[in-house]
Amino acid sequence: MVYFINDIITGALIGLLYSLVAMGFVVIYRASKVFNFAQGELVIIGGFIVWFTTMQAGLSLWLSIPISLVLAGLVGYAIERIFLTKLIGESVFSMVMVTVGLLILLRGLVLLVFGPAVRPFPIIFPLKPLFLGDMLIPMNLLMGGIITIVAAVGLSWFFNRTRSGLRMTAVAEDHVVASSMGISVKGSIAFAWVLGAILSTIGAMIFLSGKSLTFLASDIGFAALPVALFAGLESIGGLILAGIIIGIAQSLTTNYLDPLIGGSLGSVVPYIIMLAILLIRPTGLFGWRTIERV
Amino acid sequence: MTYQTKQGLRGLLAACAIAVAATMPLKAQAEATYNLALLSDFSGPYADIMPILAGGREAVFIWWNETRGKELGVTLNYKNYETRYDAAQVASLWPGIKSELDPIAVVGLGGPDVAALSERLPEDKIPMFMATASYGFAWKPNSWIFNPRPTYSHESAGFLNWMREQRGGDGPLKVAILASEASPAYVDMAKGLELYAEEHPEEIDLVEVIYTEVQPTDLTGQMRRVVRAGAEALIIQTNTSIVVAAKRGLQANGSNIPIMMSSHNGLPASGGALGGLDQLEGDFEAYGMAIAADEGTPARQFYETLVADYGLKAPWNVVTAMGVSQGLFVATVIDHAIAANGAEGLTGEMVREALFAKTITTEETHGFLPSLTFTPEAPFPLEGLKVNVGTVKDGKITIEAIGVDVPDVHKW
Repeated sequence: MVYFINDIITGALIGLLYSLVAMGFVVIYRASKVFNFAQGELVIIGGFIVWFTTMQAGLSLWLSIPISLVLAGLVGYAIERIFLTKLIGESVFSMVMVTVGLLILLRGLVLLVFGPAVRPFPIIFPLKPLFLGDMLIPMNLLMGGIITIVAAVGLSWFFNRTRSGLRMTAVAEDHVVASSMGISVKGSIAFAWVLGAILSTIGAMIFLSGKSLTFLASDIGFAALPVALFAGLESIGGLILAGIIIGIAQSLTTNYLDPLIGGSLGSVVPYIIMLAILLIRPTGLFGWRTIERV
Repeated sequence: MTYQTKQGLRGLLAACAIAVAATMPLKAQAEATYNLALLSDFSGPYADIMPILAGGREAVFIWWNETRGKELGVTLNYKNYETRYDAAQVASLWPGIKSELDPIAVVGLGGPDVAALSERLPEDKIPMFMATASYGFAWKPNSWIFNPRPTYSHESAGFLNWMREQRGGDGPLKVAILASEASPAYVDMAKGLELYAEEHPEEIDLVEVIYTEVQPTDLTGQMRRVVRAGAEALIIQTNTSIVVAAKRGLQANGSNIPIMMSSHNGLPASGGALGGLDQLEGDFEAYGMAIAADEGTPARQFYETLVADYGLKAPWNVVTAMGVSQGLFVATVIDHAIAANGAEGLTGEMVREALFAKTITTEETHGFLPSLTFTPEAPFPLEGLKVNVGTVKDGKITIEAIGVDVPDVHKW
């Protein structure tokens, strides 16, 4: 029974890591209605920035982490300025296609700049797990879970309770209308990309702490996708619940069903849940329902 | 000088030139160039090791052209093609490679090449030579794809039998496998060993078979299952990221169950990704090829020759050894084909026939590979198979065992 509870806790914490990466999707979507297919690549870029500042530049973690977050924010800002600003007012489809192009470009850039070698990622969180009786909880996931919940609460408050957050939501609704209301569309979208890049970098630190870094780590973007779609692309708070549900389902499948069937059903379960919920509720669990009056 | 005299002199000079050419040594007349298509992954999952592996195999072709090639009047021309370790990419590239290069042999990299070309190469009559171990799904008679090593499952079974002997006692060795469904080749590695364990319960007790992603999020829970099941060895023949995640998972559980890796995810690559070889103290790599340790073996001496005289820049490690052994495998078969058919008009079919006609001796591959006798029954030698075992001792890779017998493994 202890192990079963432990598996549930670990699953929930892995799910919260997915939620954090998915938060990057949601923040950008809420500000621009653009689904960023290159979210996993933002995680990798954040990871390489952290690796560079610690392992290459030799900075202490206390210095390298804030510097990395600032640099990641600048990368997000640069991406928005170079590739997306000119598309404001154009169809959302065009912007989404740009993010598909970004996915390929960023992956190529990472290979070009950092090379293909598998590198040791710095140990950000203690490797020694937390022991609660017979239960064992990885510290990176525990700290990551706390960070995710704090980030979700903060961002929910920002988007729902502050004027800047509400302005960003208005931008997502319609660029032209928001512009005519005096809202800076460019500023809102740029801020969302900065935030998305910073969240991705925090996700990279939790995901990769003490492990290895290659461009293949961008696959976490796809792992987070079911969480984002399950929660609904507008709901930051909903990501927490969606992440926990998907994480627990995945963990229990991996630990109890996979050994019986001799396969990796655990990798597929998040997508099965996602498809099931989208069939029942196409906007996701907490997504906004749009009513159009004709 | 009159016009007629000039014409006469020209005619005389031309006749002299023809006479000189006719009396030149035979090899200069028979100068022949054959093309090799090198399938590579510089931007996919094996991009980290590809430059080193490519350096190893290319250095051998340069060496062969300068030595044996000059004697025989043959040049091996080669070209790399980027496949991203993707079967679809290999399949789409192949028609272009064939028309552009008309190769007499393909120098392959891994499972996707096998999956994409196993049906096409017999039609095109071009053999493909690999560096890796073979796969169960490729274990068919009359193949056109050949591995100098048996399947990964043969290699792991050989290692586990050796480990059981080292441990002593009568009971079977408790073993866990960590694999991935990301590639059919990874699944194949696990399935073969599962079958062997099923057929030999007195030797191996397979306590866990775990499938994960190629870049796992966290394996602490999975490793706890392995520890709880009492595993004495953990087999990981997939990639370095999985080795790193498994090692961290074992460390979190306070366990040091020895991990066995293969050549493509071996001790140097995984140690580098973990931050140092010392992290893998007591872990193993096992494969049917020379271990790249510091000992002064014939393989090491040949590597030094390639570095000193033929521009090899890759460090001495298992990946370089894999590239060099592949180059030597291909060059030796072509050498045998030339000996049997002459330097002119060599075809892919002749190269394949030469593989069956004569044993490739360990001396011909400078100790990189054991002696290999191929038959049409399988894409790899079925008898006399051996694996070598390397480990980390005091932070250095050392040879733990050489020429460990590989058991018979049935097809799966």
